[in-house]
Amino acid sequence: METYQIYSLTSAVLFVIGLGGVFVSKHFIKKIIATTIMGGGVFLAFVSFADRDALSFADPVPHALVITGIVVAVASASFALALARRIFQLSGDESFSSDK
Amino acid sequence: MSIVIDTLLALLTIYLALQCLLAPRLPQTVFMFFAFGLALALAWVRLGAVDVAITEAAVASGFLGVLFLDALQDFSLSASPKRRGADKDSATQPEKQGWTSYLPGVALGVGLGLFLLIALEATWKMPEGGGLTAAAEAQLPHSGVEHPVTAVLLNFRAYDTWLELGVILLGLLAIYAVGGVKLYPRHNNVANDPVLQQIMWFFTPVLFLFGAFLLYIGKSGPGGAFQAGVLWGSIGILLHLGGKLVFSVIPRWVGQVLLTVGLSFFLFLGFFFLARGAAVFEYPPAYAGLLILIVETLAAISIATTLTAIFATLNQENKKEVN
Repeated sequence: METYQIYSLTSAVLFVIGLGGVFVSKHFIKKIIATTIMGGGVFLAFVSFADRDALSFADPVPHALVITGIVVAVASASFALALARRIFQLSGDESFSSDK
Repeated sequence: MSIVIDTLLALLTIYLALQCLLAPRLPQTVFMFFAFGLALALAWVRLGAVDVAITEAAVASGFLGVLFLDALQDFSLSASPKRRGADKDSATQPEKQGWTSYLPGVALGVGLGLFLLIALEATWKMPEGGGLTAAAEAQLPHSGVEHPVTAVLLNFRAYDTWLELGVILLGLLAIYAVGGVKLYPRHNNVANDPVLQQIMWFFTPVLFLFGAFLLYIGKSGPGGAFQAGVLWGSIGILLHLGGKLVFSVIPRWVGQVLLTVGLSFFLFLGFFFLARGAAVFEYPPAYAGLLILIVETLAAISIATTLTAIFATLNQENKKEVN
């Protein structure tokens, strides 16, 4: 079992945890955090396979893709957070369900 | 030995992610998110991706966590959300639901379990492709820098990085569109906290120097424009928290210029070479190092201004609406 295999397996687990969190969580902030965890899982898969293809250094193209992906994910997560705060400000809702 | 470290780190990351989503109170979720981001950064250091680790720790864990912390003062602190004035309705809920109410939960569980098995098998049996390491290694001497990730980001795939700067700016514009453009008040009612003032005065030059160091060291080691931009952006956030509202003391056009200078210079540079007959973003190898340094500096300034503006706009959201 090599190093990258451990992390590629955990990336699959992280993605499923995030996906379940998006469905199961009720609060807006938890849903946004769950999507960030999903993104972390995907990026971990990218970088672990970059480590597999390493020669004298690790494969730099997936690293660049992941850096770009992290920044884009943060931009969209902050937009989602702005929407959630605006919804709370206007209507007092913290989740999509109106009961309990 | 390294197998033990990696296994423990992987288990820690999974545990933190689970605790993040199962936490009963919202502040616990946010702090677990900080810890999860840092554990993930450690995992990337173990995989040899130091650039990615710095970016994750600074942006995805640090900046996003700061935004969530700021959002905590808006939302109620329990993670079981309740709508105001709906308590009397819950008493009239029908008691007996039967076994059909469990169907969505069971379906979700079964679906997620199957998906987990599929994902585990897919990552275990990923076919060997060789990757692009050999191609990057061959072109590295012509790229103008010595660090392969910086060469890919700023030279080989400069088009993607330019578009990424556009996406950050687009995120800021979307946040402006959500709540309307705020006029920042001249004096914020922040307490004259001596600890906060001291932290602000101490960390501003330290962060500035550290960001400049990361920017320049990106040529030969891990670093680069995004990491430097985030550190400089944290100066803006710190000043904002300390009561010195950055965007209300500079004229509006200066703020707009700072926001767009990275994207526009990068755009000009890329298509300048197109006009001269070469491909888009094809730097001449003799000047590539200098051009990359100029582009990185301007991009870092733009990223810093954009992150500060995102935080400043979100921080204004919880002030009372003035009609």
